[in-house]
Amino acid sequence: MSELVLSTKNLSKRFPVGRSGSFVNAVNGVDLSIKRGEVLGMVGESGSGKSTIGRTILRLTDPSDGEITFDGQDITTLPTKLIRPMRKDMQMVFQDPWSALNPRMKIGDLIAEPLRIHFNMSRSECNDRTEVLAERVRLSADFLNRTPSALSGGQLQRVCIARAIATNPKLIVLDEPTSSLDLSVRAGILELLQELRAETQAAFLFISHDLGTIKLISDRIAVLYLGRVVEEVPKDKLFSDPSHPYTQSLLSAHLPSDPNETLQRLTLQGEIPSPINLPTGCSFHTRCPVAINSCQSNVPEADEISPGHLVSCLRLKDGQNIIRRDLK
Amino acid sequence: MARLGNRIRGISRLSPTATAGVIIILLFGVLALFSDMFMPHDPVSSFTDRILQPPSAQHWFGTDGNGMDVFSRVIYGAKFGFGIAIPAVIIAVLIGVPVGLIAGYRGGLLDEVLMRIFDGLRVFPSIILALAVVAATGQSLLNVVLVLGFLDSPVFARLVRSEVLALRSSIFVESAIAAGNPTWRILFLHLLPNSIQGAMAQTAVRAAWAVRISATLAFLGVGIQAPTPEWGAMIRQGAEFMVSGQWWVAIFPGIALILLVFGLNLFGDGIQDILDPRRRVSK
Amino acid sequence: MNLLSVQDLQTHFIFRDIDHQLREAKALNKVNLTLNSGQVLGIVGETGAGKSLTAQSICGLLRPPAKIVGGSVTFQGRELLTLPEDEINTIRGAEIAMVVQNPRSSLDPLTQIGAQLVRLHQTHTGGPLAGSRKKALDMMQAVGIPDPEGRFTAWPHELSGGMAQRVLIAMALINEPKLLIADEPTTGLDVTVQAQILDLLNELVARFDMGCMIITHDLGIVAHYCDQVAVMFAGEIVEQGPTREVFLTPAHPYTQQLLAATPERLQLGVKSQLGGQPPDLFNLPTGCLSQDRCTLATEKCGAPPPLIEISKGHLARCHFVKPAEKGRSKSNE
Repeated sequence: MSELVLSTKNLSKRFPVGRSGSFVNAVNGVDLSIKRGEVLGMVGESGSGKSTIGRTILRLTDPSDGEITFDGQDITTLPTKLIRPMRKDMQMVFQDPWSALNPRMKIGDLIAEPLRIHFNMSRSECNDRTEVLAERVRLSADFLNRTPSALSGGQLQRVCIARAIATNPKLIVLDEPTSSLDLSVRAGILELLQELRAETQAAFLFISHDLGTIKLISDRIAVLYLGRVVEEVPKDKLFSDPSHPYTQSLLSAHLPSDPNETLQRLTLQGEIPSPINLPTGCSFHTRCPVAINSCQSNVPEADEISPGHLVSCLRLKDGQNIIRRDLK
Repeated sequence: MARLGNRIRGISRLSPTATAGVIIILLFGVLALFSDMFMPHDPVSSFTDRILQPPSAQHWFGTDGNGMDVFSRVIYGAKFGFGIAIPAVIIAVLIGVPVGLIAGYRGGLLDEVLMRIFDGLRVFPSIILALAVVAATGQSLLNVVLVLGFLDSPVFARLVRSEVLALRSSIFVESAIAAGNPTWRILFLHLLPNSIQGAMAQTAVRAAWAVRISATLAFLGVGIQAPTPEWGAMIRQGAEFMVSGQWWVAIFPGIALILLVFGLNLFGDGIQDILDPRRRVSK
Repeated sequence: MNLLSVQDLQTHFIFRDIDHQLREAKALNKVNLTLNSGQVLGIVGETGAGKSLTAQSICGLLRPPAKIVGGSVTFQGRELLTLPEDEINTIRGAEIAMVVQNPRSSLDPLTQIGAQLVRLHQTHTGGPLAGSRKKALDMMQAVGIPDPEGRFTAWPHELSGGMAQRVLIAMALINEPKLLIADEPTTGLDVTVQAQILDLLNELVARFDMGCMIITHDLGIVAHYCDQVAVMFAGEIVEQGPTREVFLTPAHPYTQQLLAATPERLQLGVKSQLGGQPPDLFNLPTGCLSQDRCTLATEKCGAPPPLIEISKGHLARCHFVKPAEKGRSKSNE
């Protein structure tokens, strides 16, 4: 079995806007790879394309360009009929547990559904496995006969996780799994995910806008801006050595709950440009505090500045990090 | 038991309309099921010595042109009301709902074609179409039911389709796809249970329509014929006598017809109130 | 005299359920807080704690079945809860203003933003139209909307989330209120935009010398933008005081739990006793409302916990907190 569960090369996705002939350029040339047992965190703001990448990788939507290789197989253009059986190996946990579950199905049936679809299990085998799964995610078996409306957000998300791990998938994409949940509930879910990744050795793609959460659970983190990866960094370097100017401004805007930590705000001008009208060259140049002329015309390549640490910025070719920090 | 009583009180407070409708429907339902208990005379045996008698102690609604007791005939007619309405609505649902599901989910050409056909059906005056079909295929109760069911299916198709259009891009459907569900499971296990409420709410209203249309057809001489105690046929027969002053032959079946249709409509309306929280009568 | 003083506020939801039974959810249970001009108070808590309900109760924005069943709300010395509707209307929007989350759904989609600002100004402050127009432009400038003249005729749907929120703030401040309540003002906005909006709020609060209440579930926002904090659980304030002090030395077990659950402090793999169900407002326990999920709970908690002053201005409602003698105190092990 290959170590590499998922890799993408130059992955792109465009959505047409009405009939006007223009496109939302959600994903613009993304290279990713995730190994068995690894958690890749993807962080970005609105317009970064992070959710779209998750869906495209799972072929819930078709890529416009580039390649997706899953478990050694090129699934970029595989027809839906052939993708469907592969879904037992690639699952997704969605952001909003209230809308991710059929409100009229029983919890037990929701968890068992992937089993029913992909394996030829008898009813009793299914029930047994469902109970095991419920216990695994620390969900009381009493809930198996209820409908989603009877459960809280945290419990519902556990149901979604149980559903996602039911078939022992090799890849699990989690799209903001804790963002809709209360603070004290988040902790429980993250702990559960941490246990599961060790147990199942599945590859996790963890998408979030919250830097704190991402740092907690990920091994490596990819920072996205307007559909491109601007920086990819091992977890411990994220806060200690962010190199791309966007990463730095993102970090500076992050509000830690410790009032003693002084903020060093790196304010950016203006707002995120629309993905319909991508800036030329490096898409960050319109707001970048250290942009120079060639940033307007050249898309920077990813440079590996230290093992596992890739940055896409033209200014780094100057050999040093010259980003100024505006002290608050 | 007390709990059930409370539950009934609770629901009836949500919609007085539905409550009123239910009462009327139940009344007719009881009459239809247990007509034997309520009919003082045999609805089809004629008392040749008592033709066209006005309402009296012996014949509460009087007698008709054949000497048959109008009261008994009106009660018996309730059987037809339900006996036609229910199967017709069932057929309409069985045709309309799957079409709505598939058209809504698939979209594209299939959707366009199906919807145009159904639009055409709706636009065509149903009475004329029903008349033509029944006249062509034969005057039987079965034919009437089939035609009505078919004619009514576009309503259900449209209702289900619009719900499906809204739901097909919702997250739980995407989650179902992500889990690997084949299309048929998505349609019947996921979309159907969540898109059927509007259609279900309409069944009472469509039943009212079916009752009305079948009575109209009978009135026009198509479908059910005298001496069958069906309200429409009775009204037809009684219409002749209105002019000469024997109003009871037509009026009583007419009132029964109006009342049942009214009750069904009230119920259907009230169901909307209950299902749509915004329309509920608030505390 | 305090700008705003809320005392023993109680708001319940009273209705009949589907079984025709009378139900009462005790959503706010004797909320006490005060706010002065120039102060920023953060109200923090999880879902169902009653934060938004507190704001709505203060502003008189409750809809049945919610009902204020006790307490008092004094604004600049006037009791708000007994005022008739038309008098509340003159205060609301003019002297007390509110900014909510989801800015785009709060704006009238069929009116240009400049016109909405003018309309608001005319309703409460009045005067010649030209004056309102100028004020509107000034406010748009103050909230950082680029090219106010040009954007004056913009429609709400043309605005980004951040811009829309700025417009909402402009609308809130155009009549120069004394009290601003911001209910989750940056939820749903990008973190970089959030920083800009919060900086803006801070600046305007100082400039207009307003009292500001920020309701949020984000502890980071409170840590850096609020001088005072009130932690809510089950409709009551379990701990309040200067932010620095409450966050660095939290006294109430719930506050400690909350802070321990933030990503920075969370250590995965260390077995934690975090979480627990949100309180059942229909069935609150007698005594301390947190007892069902508190690791320190004993039978003592069956009695309502006293409000202990740990140090000046820092209060907590718990049996196990010691009032300060010298320095700071911690809760019992």
